[in-house]
Amino acid sequence: MIRKKRTEILIKGAAEVSLKLAQEILAIYDVKTIEASNNSLVMVKVRESAQRSLFYLGEVFITECKVMINGFLGIGMVKGHEPTLAYNLAIIDAAYNANLPETIEWKNILLLEEVHIKQECEALKSRVLKTKVNFATMDA
Amino acid sequence: MGYVAVKGGTLAIEESIKRLKYERLKKGVVLDCQRIEAGMRCLIDQVMSESSLYDEILAALAIKQAEGSPEEAVFLMRAYRSTLPRKHYSRTIESEAMLVERRISASFKDIPGGQILGSANDYTHRLIDFNLNEETDQEASSWVREYAEESGVDNDKTDLANLPKVLDYLREEGLIPACENDDSEPDDVTKASLQFPTSRSERLQILTRGQTGAVTSLGYVALRSYGALHPTVGELRIGNLSIYVDNPFNERNEDEDTYYIGEIKVTEVETLFPEDVQKLNGQKEIEFSLGYGICYGQNETKAIAISILDHCLETGNAEYPTHNEEFVLMHIDSVEATGFISHLKLPHYVTFQSKLDSVRKSRNGRECKNMKNNEELNP
Repeated sequence: MIRKKRTEILIKGAAEVSLKLAQEILAIYDVKTIEASNNSLVMVKVRESAQRSLFYLGEVFITECKVMINGFLGIGMVKGHEPTLAYNLAIIDAAYNANLPETIEWKNILLLEEVHIKQECEALKSRVLKTKVNFATMDA
Repeated sequence: MGYVAVKGGTLAIEESIKRLKYERLKKGVVLDCQRIEAGMRCLIDQVMSESSLYDEILAALAIKQAEGSPEEAVFLMRAYRSTLPRKHYSRTIESEAMLVERRISASFKDIPGGQILGSANDYTHRLIDFNLNEETDQEASSWVREYAEESGVDNDKTDLANLPKVLDYLREEGLIPACENDDSEPDDVTKASLQFPTSRSERLQILTRGQTGAVTSLGYVALRSYGALHPTVGELRIGNLSIYVDNPFNERNEDEDTYYIGEIKVTEVETLFPEDVQKLNGQKEIEFSLGYGICYGQNETKAIAISILDHCLETGNAEYPTHNEEFVLMHIDSVEATGFISHLKLPHYVTFQSKLDSVRKSRNGRECKNMKNNEELNP
């Protein structure tokens, strides 16, 4: 599974999923912490829609962690102060980069979590759409 | 009189800080940050926007420490921000991809996707609800549970993550000029001092981190008298934008190799300004120009005011102060404005004494002259 989709599922999904996958790796492999979870900033670049130019909207506070498994680096990055989640994300990232056999089985777990995320998102959308205005023309 | 350097006040300062803590705690109730985060959403949004740092928990903590003063909370956030390294830049966010929770247009009744009211104070009576005085956590939880159990809309398939923009509709109709993407790298006002004339990216960055009250006041000035504009909000949308960061070890910056790090809530406004334009054949025609505003969180007044000031600064009519870059951009930052005003209460003993000396000298000089004149007149 590509990194973009994988990280989105792991961050939007339940924290138990990333914890379970990371623990699976920690039980078998030697995970070296290269950079312990620490806080930093990401500057957000936005395209405005009047002239379609770029500008900086502001910074986002994040937690980042780097680990290594079998010589392969993994990075965990997440918005907010989330040291455990960033560590687990880094382990999962390193496992994918190292092509560890465990990652093959993870595809179904992640796809299942994606279904839950989509269900929640659809529930949110349907409730927001209840606030859509239904205009009625006032004829004489 | 000579000037004397003095020191001291350490004990008084320590006691003053204790008094400050006493004022925060004297009622014996500690404000839980989680409660601030849960119940002061708009203040948190304002503080995050003005401090230009997105994190609800940090903002809640700053608000607690500042006893609810936005200017102090913003100061704390900016100070903390200055201790952190900026390790990454996000990939460019296109607001078309916003997961919309509220979206309205004052220009068109029927917009593709519809008018979605979402959550807003606009439709309330603005009467104090005295029942909130008795509200309990239990009641809140049960209300939220009941609300979650309510059925949503089944027959509306509008994709809130892919709503068409009103501006695109106008561009397709030829009512506003088409516009290509400008991918020039933006300037960053946090990296270099502002030089005039500014770039568009600098203007928008300063406006979005501006103090809500200052931005709103100057936007109002531009509407009421200095230019007397009357724009219409083409589209106002509030929702979440996903943030992705490139893999720092992949120089090709492939989209599928990016890291998703989370989402941020923003308010975005596109405003239309009608203008009479003289055509070659001598006839007058109305054309529309645009203003753009965006800010962290839900802060609709600020975003609309930004769009007005964006238009003013793009127009640059020398007749009006609100069109003057220096007048607007140098005076709307919360930390700069409140810091400069506040510094007036700090010790100015030396400078003030020198002013007093000047007054005394000139008065003495005048008195001597008067005495001399009197002696000449009355020998």
